[in-house]
Amino acid sequence: MTEQIQREKDQGVTSDILERNPELHGIGSYEYGWSDSDTAGANAKRGIDESVVEDISSKKSEPEWMLKLRKKGLKYFERKPMPMWGADLSGIHFDNIKYFVRSTEKQAKTWEDLPEDIRNTYERLGIPEAERERLVSGVAAQYESEVVYHQIREDLEEQGVIFMDTDTALKEHPEFFEEYFGSVIPVGDNKFAALNTSVWSGGSFVYVPKGVHVEIPLQAYFRINTENMGQFERTLIIADEDSYVHYIEGCTAPIYDSDSLHSAVVEIVVKKNARVRYTTIQNWSTNVYNLVTKRAVVDTGGTMEWIDGNIGSKVTMKYPAVYLTGEHAKGETLSVAFAGEGQHQDTGSKMVHMAPNTSSTIVSKSVARNGGRAAYRGLVQINAGAKNSANSVVCDALLVDTISRSDTYPYIDIREDDVTLGHEATVSKVSEDQLFYLMARGLAEDEAMAMIVRGFIEPIARELPMEYALELNRLIELQMEGSVG
Amino acid sequence: MTNSASADQAEQVAGVEVGEARITIPGMSEEGENLATAHEETEHTHGGLGESTVKAKTGGSRADRTTSLNVADFAVPTGREEEWRFSPLKKLGRVLSDAATQTPVTLKVRNLADGVTRGELAKAQSPRGTVFSAADRAAVVGYSQTAQADYISVAADTELSEPVFLDITGEAAGHRANGHLVLEAGAHSKAVFVMEHRGSADANLNVEVIVRDGADVTVVSLQRWDDDAVHVGQQDAEVGRDAKYKHVSVTLGGEVVRMNSNVRYAAEGAEASMYGLYFADAGQHLEHRSFVDHNSPRNTSNVLYKGALQGQDARTVWVGDVLIRKAAEGTDSYEKNQNLILSDGARADSIPNLEIETGLIEGAGHASSTGRFDENHLFYLMARGIPEKEARQLVVRGFLNEIVQAIGVESIEETVQQDLENELKIAGF
Repeated sequence: MTEQIQREKDQGVTSDILERNPELHGIGSYEYGWSDSDTAGANAKRGIDESVVEDISSKKSEPEWMLKLRKKGLKYFERKPMPMWGADLSGIHFDNIKYFVRSTEKQAKTWEDLPEDIRNTYERLGIPEAERERLVSGVAAQYESEVVYHQIREDLEEQGVIFMDTDTALKEHPEFFEEYFGSVIPVGDNKFAALNTSVWSGGSFVYVPKGVHVEIPLQAYFRINTENMGQFERTLIIADEDSYVHYIEGCTAPIYDSDSLHSAVVEIVVKKNARVRYTTIQNWSTNVYNLVTKRAVVDTGGTMEWIDGNIGSKVTMKYPAVYLTGEHAKGETLSVAFAGEGQHQDTGSKMVHMAPNTSSTIVSKSVARNGGRAAYRGLVQINAGAKNSANSVVCDALLVDTISRSDTYPYIDIREDDVTLGHEATVSKVSEDQLFYLMARGLAEDEAMAMIVRGFIEPIARELPMEYALELNRLIELQMEGSVG
Repeated sequence: MTNSASADQAEQVAGVEVGEARITIPGMSEEGENLATAHEETEHTHGGLGESTVKAKTGGSRADRTTSLNVADFAVPTGREEEWRFSPLKKLGRVLSDAATQTPVTLKVRNLADGVTRGELAKAQSPRGTVFSAADRAAVVGYSQTAQADYISVAADTELSEPVFLDITGEAAGHRANGHLVLEAGAHSKAVFVMEHRGSADANLNVEVIVRDGADVTVVSLQRWDDDAVHVGQQDAEVGRDAKYKHVSVTLGGEVVRMNSNVRYAAEGAEASMYGLYFADAGQHLEHRSFVDHNSPRNTSNVLYKGALQGQDARTVWVGDVLIRKAAEGTDSYEKNQNLILSDGARADSIPNLEIETGLIEGAGHASSTGRFDENHLFYLMARGIPEKEARQLVVRGFLNEIVQAIGVESIEETVQQDLENELKIAGF
């Protein structure tokens, strides 16, 4: 930590708050950056070809159709060009990435059964504690390529709720996969979805039966340990009619000199009058490329809510989408992104209205500081026939210095006359007035700054479960540390 | 072992149909959405080395866009390029070729007052090309195929009491007509230029506006073409220190019109506003792109474009780019686009892009809305006893009038009002 203070001193941005509050030193930088011993990762093969795909499939003893689908994904991956828009992806070297790392042979039933290193990691991340305190009703912990621990409350299991890792679910509940796997995000949807389809491993499968409300969230935690890891989890959530579920995922990784890749695919099927809320607190270390495809399809009267917090990673390109296929379906995205030094957060959302009386809302807040770059990129499309649909997009960006950058690329495509739709965006700097007002009341400049930023993202923070809101606030404080200079 | 099926074969896999039959989102295929179907003009399908779905929907930074006066720097577009993907390239092909003028448009200049001169400028002859730099294929071929540009200049400190009218008439439908017009307003001058396009042509017409320090310039570009005209144009302006520039583009006629209106600044303290009004009928494609380049500090910009659409395949596109560069501290910028869809079968695209490279700005915002009516306005009027039909008529007119009033030239405002009345009559308003 002293290094950080020294560095900030060198840059002339040492904050008083750090000097006056030594207890804060411990949280002045990315605190999830440790790594465990790594035999599995060290021996893993680098690069991707058909044999890698076959190897993954055979290790998982999958049905033949899945192997075929994987191979098809590989074909599309090889064929599709890298995206030429958004963030700079030239630092990704597909040949250097480890596509499958098995960290432990067997999924554990209790935390104690896990190898010590891995168990310690999750203890430090606070996951078992959350489970003990019943803050969550189910936990899945993915370490490298596979879920090493999963648990669901018995009462939910009795009601028929399925929550398990995707590999196991494919074996135990193949009927869901035959019907839904790749049906929301097709195999060749985009280069990274194709890559995921070819080498996917881990992720969560959730099925909530008709009428069941899972009141306490299900939690998944994704951890990358090995250097140059590629993590390709695959999540499928099916909320049957009139059901409700809230799924939360968090992610961290060690800090290495060279980069890792996280490329997930998340498919969600929201049936009639069901509601799914999906919360992400993404806090990858700043050497992770985070290129994720997330999409939900919502039937009549259903609701999909994406709450998407992007704090970590080197590059994130992620645009959670909702396809509103049934009447009165609703989609909502609340997105908050922080881009600090060396980070590019290219995030947003996509809403496609395909039926009458559908509605959607996108609220996006971004903060860029210390040379970071935050972009909102979104699409709202209202198809012909989607009468009386309504959409509103609001994006606000906050720039706290002169070297950061904020971009807004909203795309709006309307093919129906009977709709209401609005997009609004503002970009502001933290105003001198606001700062002066708070500082006149005795707050140090960066305390004041952090307070302004907290106020700015409050509409999103309040949608989070309490402990996540607190975590987000704390992260903001860290992010804002030394931001005034 | 080698059981590799080609990706092109949508094979049936045991137990599961992997492919379209299983996809739960209507209109989606194995490769995601096939966006090409949205353009009936660009007939490339998603086969082959297609781009990803999202790529087709988005673009890179405006700062990275090529500008040049060299034709070789711009390939003939295929329709996949960010700046062309909304345009009907089949119809535009005729104005994108590096071809000479067949039948020129005629330019009649009225109201040449004292202090206003008309001349011509060869390609390398200043000030031609000092402000204008082509940003796409259309603009570059138009530039290079125009040997002599028309040049209207207003002397420094001259205040014109009457607008300068430039009547531009296409003389032959389907005949290529290239043109370049340079408008220069000297320091502390004040002038209004009204360009009115009529008749028909395959017109490729660029405009270059030089607003010297302290000048106050309004440029109105009226597109009142016949139904078979095709018009592409880039209208560039550079605004001097403490100068004012207002650009108003009104597009009512033409089969395909694609206008790029750009502004940048020479120094500080300037004010630029860009207004646009378009009304697309069945089969018309009206595309407007504006770009405000805040390349220097303490300037302001305001962009407001409004559109209405009626009839089958009426199509409008508005792309508004605002780039606030690192140097542009103290910038205040706003842009807004509003569209009113008056009937089924029409499609409006609206993309307000905003890129900001510094936090030291006064403000930057953008807004876009598309819909039928402002229900609040309607309610307000009906609550005052105005019947619904009449109230709707009032709301639509009020919506469009905001731009008409920005023209500031009474005779033109009246003409445009009348045009709008005729358009609204067709729509039943």
